[in-house]
Amino acid sequence: MRYFLAVVAILSGCATVQPPSPISEPVPAPAPSVPTGNAAVASLVASARADAAAGRLVQAASSLERALRIEPRNPHLWQELARVRLKQGDYAQVESVAARSNSWAGGDSRLRAENWRLIAQAREARGDAAGARAALEAADRQR
Amino acid sequence: MFRFGRYWRALRDACVPVMRRMFQRAGFWTYLRYAFLTLALLAAGFTLYLDFRVRNEFEGRRFALPARIYARPLELHAGLRISQAAIVDELRQAGYREGPREGESGWFARSSEGLEIALRPFVFWDGPQPALRLRVAFENGATASVRDAQGRDLALVRLEPLAIGGIYPANNQDRVLVRLSEVPKHLVQALLATEDRNFYSHHGFDPRGIARSVVNFFRGRGLQGGSTLTQQLVKNFFLTPERTVQRKLTELIMAMLLELHYDKSEILETYLNEIYLGQDRDRAIHGIGLAALHYFGKTVEHLTLAESALLIGMVKGPAYYDPYRHPQRALERRNIILRETRGVGYVTMEQYASARGTGLGLNPKASMGTSPHPAFLELVHRQLRRDYDEADLRSEGLRVFTTLDPRVQSAAERVLERRLAQYDKEKRFGPPGLEGAIVVTGAQNGEVQAVVGGRDVRYRGFNRALDAARPVGSLLKPVVYLTALAEPSRYTLVTPIEDAPFVWKSRGAPDWEPQNYDRAFHGAVQLRTALAQSYNVATARLGTEIGVERVLATVKRLGVERPLKPYAATLLGAVELSPFEVTQMYQTIASAGFRAPLRAIREVTAQDGRPLKPYPLEVEQAFAAEPAYLLTAAMQGVVREGTAQSLSQWLPPEAAVAGKTGTTDEQRDAWFAGFTGDRLAVVWIGYDDNRAAKLSGAAAALPLWGELMAALGAEPLAPPRPDGIESVLIDPESGLRADVLCPGALELPFARGSAPVERAPCASALGVAVEEAKQQAKGWFERWFGR
Repeated sequence: MRYFLAVVAILSGCATVQPPSPISEPVPAPAPSVPTGNAAVASLVASARADAAAGRLVQAASSLERALRIEPRNPHLWQELARVRLKQGDYAQVESVAARSNSWAGGDSRLRAENWRLIAQAREARGDAAGARAALEAADRQR
Repeated sequence: MFRFGRYWRALRDACVPVMRRMFQRAGFWTYLRYAFLTLALLAAGFTLYLDFRVRNEFEGRRFALPARIYARPLELHAGLRISQAAIVDELRQAGYREGPREGESGWFARSSEGLEIALRPFVFWDGPQPALRLRVAFENGATASVRDAQGRDLALVRLEPLAIGGIYPANNQDRVLVRLSEVPKHLVQALLATEDRNFYSHHGFDPRGIARSVVNFFRGRGLQGGSTLTQQLVKNFFLTPERTVQRKLTELIMAMLLELHYDKSEILETYLNEIYLGQDRDRAIHGIGLAALHYFGKTVEHLTLAESALLIGMVKGPAYYDPYRHPQRALERRNIILRETRGVGYVTMEQYASARGTGLGLNPKASMGTSPHPAFLELVHRQLRRDYDEADLRSEGLRVFTTLDPRVQSAAERVLERRLAQYDKEKRFGPPGLEGAIVVTGAQNGEVQAVVGGRDVRYRGFNRALDAARPVGSLLKPVVYLTALAEPSRYTLVTPIEDAPFVWKSRGAPDWEPQNYDRAFHGAVQLRTALAQSYNVATARLGTEIGVERVLATVKRLGVERPLKPYAATLLGAVELSPFEVTQMYQTIASAGFRAPLRAIREVTAQDGRPLKPYPLEVEQAFAAEPAYLLTAAMQGVVREGTAQSLSQWLPPEAAVAGKTGTTDEQRDAWFAGFTGDRLAVVWIGYDDNRAAKLSGAAAALPLWGELMAALGAEPLAPPRPDGIESVLIDPESGLRADVLCPGALELPFARGSAPVERAPCASALGVAVEEAKQQAKGWFERWFGR
């Protein structure tokens, strides 16, 4: 398996192909769907989003905690929680939870970039302009 | 409580001298008139006073409702790793009965297709879940599907959480309030037929009732109360149990006043909620609502005629007619109640006969007292006290949803009881026996799933899990290594450390000369080996090299709040921590350097279901991901090839458990702390009086850990590899770069750029280059395609 990976990676590596970079748009994209193979997690995320949209943030966070108990390693759920914390104005938790998402994100650079953007927003909201800039730069490096 | 006596005396003392003077001046009839007037005034004053009390206390009266504590609800969904037996077990504990009962909820039935469950309705913190019929199918140790009665797939269903106790008023009165409209008609009829036939027509006292009881007495049916329900209520509510004429008179007046101000349904409802109906260990069962749950595992509206009659029969003497202790006596009493009820014409002959023919039908649930898991409850209580007043906890009827996992808790209790009994037998040290404590948490979220505070798991006494501060010994070593690994330019997993004679001199303290467990020195050992083998001397040298203060700062960042003394001996665990504190420390390691305060509470709601303060998941990055990852790898080495190797008896190598053994001087304390992919557990064993237990962490504490995790089913530990970590093939002998031809070559993680560059004697230049290329390729692959 390892050799197969090596061959695949060397072949593709020689061609120095970059993964297609997403077209950067100033309009914030709607939250991406959360990949999960579990219908229970999907339903919890759906109800969390409905709650968050209606301003029921405590309920939204609670549903995401329930989802995280089922899939504690799903970085998308952690990110979803960071988004709710941002709405709640709990900026310290936004940074920690987004970092937790990053810790499970592996090679998912898009997810990482989004986490860094959340961190940047939290820092911005706290008045840490330099920190926010650094986080945005970190987001740009994720590709 | 009742101060009429004092009131009366004060009045008498004021009036008597005045009356004496009047007697001396005027004639007899005048005196008599004055006397009548005075008496009338006194009676009126007394009645007014009682009236004030009755209204004031009856209206202001709120039953003190204990805070009710629930375990976590089991969340059922397709694909959940759980056996049918485990679900059945949980349903049984919640008072569900086996076998279908059409039209009722609160039962389950097993068939070849799986499990059918009639869930009772339950109000969760985020709203009510109605009664629900479920069909659960199983496949390969997991649920295959969860469907409703119509066969539709349900994404997620919460089972009713187990009630695991309460925080009770001082007299441990427990009750569940009911509305009169919820109470079945036949229950009220049985009550009235037995206790107060003229309830709806009398005005608080009942001459006909008294006459009836006198007649019955002379007919040889024994002495019956003759008190109306209103009188009984007044007696329970306002008065002391002494039997004097004065009290009886007061009771009568108060009963009539109560009837004057309140209608019959209010009085009846209060009576049904107040009434004492038995004892469950130290918990007093009050009210028909709790009695229905306690004796029959159902809510009051579902009580049958026979069940209602049993409860009403107990009013006369809850201990004497206790159906658990005296089933025959209780059955006979029940049948008397049924006969009386029929005698008044409330039920037909058919209803009577069929009720008489049924058994007691008691809930088989074992009694629980104020809590079956007092050690966990105490933790909940302490965490609640940070935010709530003690008095509110005992009276406001709060509902507290906790993190307790009944399956984990029971397994931990069983393991501790069994193993300690076995050790005692082997040791024959005599009583008091060995003690122990276990704390289990969710590795990723810091939720406390189980707390065992001693071998007598039902005992509400000394809670060793929370309060026994014991030397932690080698359990502190990972902190030393974590501090070292945070400096990758100085320390990696293969950095050689001298395990050779070492003396630490500090002013004002005797020289410190640590020894290894095997009393030998092992020369230059790799850092990972020093931890795996728990070498004291190498660890002392490493720790003093880094600095004791820095190691202590790490302890604090891991979440230990207790201040520790900055002595070199601290490095080897000469500090006392409770198992709970140790758990907090390891929690941060288990969740990749993210500290999550250990939580026992998820939600609290007011009695009416309104959510109060939430207890959200909170994490804080205490360490960079890289050193936490490296330490976890080193702790996996402890289990794979170090002092905790014997864990392989319980868990396969694929579980990749990370752990650490701990043994203190003279083997007074035996510890094991470790984590899998989903759980963290800390086990402590020792004597309360600090006697030498002659048991090591590996020999005594580890088996409990292994047995527990094997019973629960462990998810393999596979922490995500941080960006700044690379894997390098290492020759285990030399700690240098290896290629595939090196015997026993190990893939070890290093902070990027910190791996040794030198080639091991067994490796060729080409081989090492190939390895490097492979690792690089793997890195790309991961980055592009995700993991």
